[in-house]
Amino acid sequence: MTAIDSALQPAHGTAPDHHAKPQGIGRWLFATNHKDIGSLYLWFAFSMFIFGGVLALCIRAELFRPGLQFWQPELFNQFTTLHGLIMVFGAIMPAFTGLANWMLPLMIGAPDMAFARMNNWSFWLLPPAALLLLLISFAVPGGAAAAGWTLYAPLSTQMGMGMDLTIFAIHIMGVSSIMGSINIIVTILNLRAPGMTMMKMPMFAWASLITAYLIIAVMPVLAGVVTMVLTDRHFGTHFFNAAGGGDPVLYQHIFWFFGHPEVYIMALPAFGIVSHIIPTFSRKPLFGYTSMVYATSSIAILSFMVWAHHMFTTGMPATAQLFFMYATMLIAVPTGVKVFNWIGTMWQGSMSFETPMLFAIGFICLFTVGGLSGVTLSIAAIDIQLQDTYYVVAHFHYVLVAGALFSLFAAVYYWFPKMTGRMYSEFWGRFHFWWSLLWFNVTFFPMHFLGLAGMPRRIPDYNMQFTDFNTLASVGAFCFGLGQLIFFANMLHSLRHGRPAAARPWEGADTLEWQIATPAPYHSFVEAPDLEVGENGRIDAMHGGKHH
Amino acid sequence: MDKPPATLHDNRLLLLKLLLLACVMFVFAWGLIPVYDALCRLTGLGSLQRPDEVGSQRLAATPLAPVLLTFDATVQPGLPWQVRPLTRTLRAVPGEFVRVDYEITNASNRQVVGQAIPRYLPAAAAEYVKKLDCFCFAQQAFAPGETRRFPVVFVVDKNVPAGLDSITLAYTVFDVPGRS
Repeated sequence: MTAIDSALQPAHGTAPDHHAKPQGIGRWLFATNHKDIGSLYLWFAFSMFIFGGVLALCIRAELFRPGLQFWQPELFNQFTTLHGLIMVFGAIMPAFTGLANWMLPLMIGAPDMAFARMNNWSFWLLPPAALLLLLISFAVPGGAAAAGWTLYAPLSTQMGMGMDLTIFAIHIMGVSSIMGSINIIVTILNLRAPGMTMMKMPMFAWASLITAYLIIAVMPVLAGVVTMVLTDRHFGTHFFNAAGGGDPVLYQHIFWFFGHPEVYIMALPAFGIVSHIIPTFSRKPLFGYTSMVYATSSIAILSFMVWAHHMFTTGMPATAQLFFMYATMLIAVPTGVKVFNWIGTMWQGSMSFETPMLFAIGFICLFTVGGLSGVTLSIAAIDIQLQDTYYVVAHFHYVLVAGALFSLFAAVYYWFPKMTGRMYSEFWGRFHFWWSLLWFNVTFFPMHFLGLAGMPRRIPDYNMQFTDFNTLASVGAFCFGLGQLIFFANMLHSLRHGRPAAARPWEGADTLEWQIATPAPYHSFVEAPDLEVGENGRIDAMHGGKHH
Repeated sequence: MDKPPATLHDNRLLLLKLLLLACVMFVFAWGLIPVYDALCRLTGLGSLQRPDEVGSQRLAATPLAPVLLTFDATVQPGLPWQVRPLTRTLRAVPGEFVRVDYEITNASNRQVVGQAIPRYLPAAAAEYVKKLDCFCFAQQAFAPGETRRFPVVFVVDKNVPAGLDSITLAYTVFDVPGRS
């Protein structure tokens, strides 16, 4: 490659350093190439996934039996809090940003992300934030934040300095994700190759675009509310202090104005990924592309109107409960359209079941289970009973683990050949899927029953009657965790020793990233190609387009 | 065939617009506070700030029958308190301010902190007894052997149902462990 690079440089080279592939640690520290930054994001997200997973296993170890085994309740609360924060802000969101970085320019025919140096900055803000959250905050007096990932006041206004570190970490991660989102929006809106119109764009680009708008709309709200917590803690304000005329419920209102769209920030990119994998392995175009675009947009808009369904027990008037209940149920409509379209895509398709497809189908089945328990929880009368029980824990792990995480696995397996030029081990990929599917359900399905029986979440001890299901869930969690090491080993091994991949390893893959060499050239689409594009980014013809 | 390719200028302009949107949303988070406040005022949802109404103009015209009030106090066996109402019973017209005194003694030789919990009989009477001052509003610390008198000031609401002609107000005093 290097020889070709230098050979091509004079033809295009105004700035030669933009065309050479940098070497050593500087390649990563000063990375401006969207593929390098995408890889950094993905590795960072994976390491955070392992950290957050270890915290989850600490929680499950304690809950293996009733009574206190390993941790004091204070430390247990820190584990639940940090597990949530790290998985949301450290693992899932950066993983989707990483995939968007890697794939968007390839899918829409852009040379790179719009603002390469800002891209570098938005990644390199993340490790310090993770360090603040993970390593340092456990070491300070009073330990890490222990108010739950929602950081509800008045708990969060009373805790030790671990909470301050968490607030700063959230600020930094917020700035990072806002910059990342600006990059995504500008890239998609301004850098599409000729012929790649908005209503022909790949679903993953649509999902990333809408997600990026959601992030820009709500991350500042989160920053605002944690800033209020900060000033309540240190500067004598009384936003959430009832004694000073404030209101702790106000915190929940502002937090969930961020928090509910955040749920879709973690779900919409997953929808986008699945909308490529299902058509590819069904060898059929995506069913109802236009309705998919509109469904994604309406989910995003509706997500701003349902926040108070997280607060049914705060003493809301019945009118408000009814409004939020029906508004929440309404979200099931566009979501149902999506599930219908995916199934419609598979209908009479010539399907094959490689690992990405398995994860995508697993996603559809289990995400739907999580969606159904979500509709159950949206009913105010039921939610009042189930608030803060393990039913809620079961619900959001079905949509976040079997939803977001499974789609991420699917995406990594799907694009691994394009990223690395090598194939992963299909056997171990499938093994990873079936293993994860089994133990995921062993872990989280019993939690529905625990919640219905009244077991509260975020408590290190429990009544004897809950023992069996908790033991089962703990066994499942440890096995599930073990399975992720298989994934790690498969990726590491295939990176070096995998069988070389073809430019289009999947017969049914028809988007732009499969039209270029494998592995993707370091500088792809230096000159934009002329495209004839069908729906969902299907490339009918490509003219021109240069890489090096 | 397409619009001309975006220039660096276009990209920067969009960047600035999106940054502005982020800033607006940050301000919006703070703006939610007055919005919620106004909404609660407008709809009367912030019931904490609603003034406590005693009686109503409608009923004040007709004289109301007096209600028989009985005062009592109990202590769980083994706890160091002696609690005694100085008035056992009285009759009060709804709307009239009533003041009774309770005498509480710490019968132990150590410093103790107590918390009184009121009870009403019938329980439905609770919402018609509007207390203005009560020792049960706060925890009370006692030196060894100390005796103190506390007033209880209240009004029986004028909206009290006609059938409710007798109310018993009973206090139970509990130890607050770990606070000495």
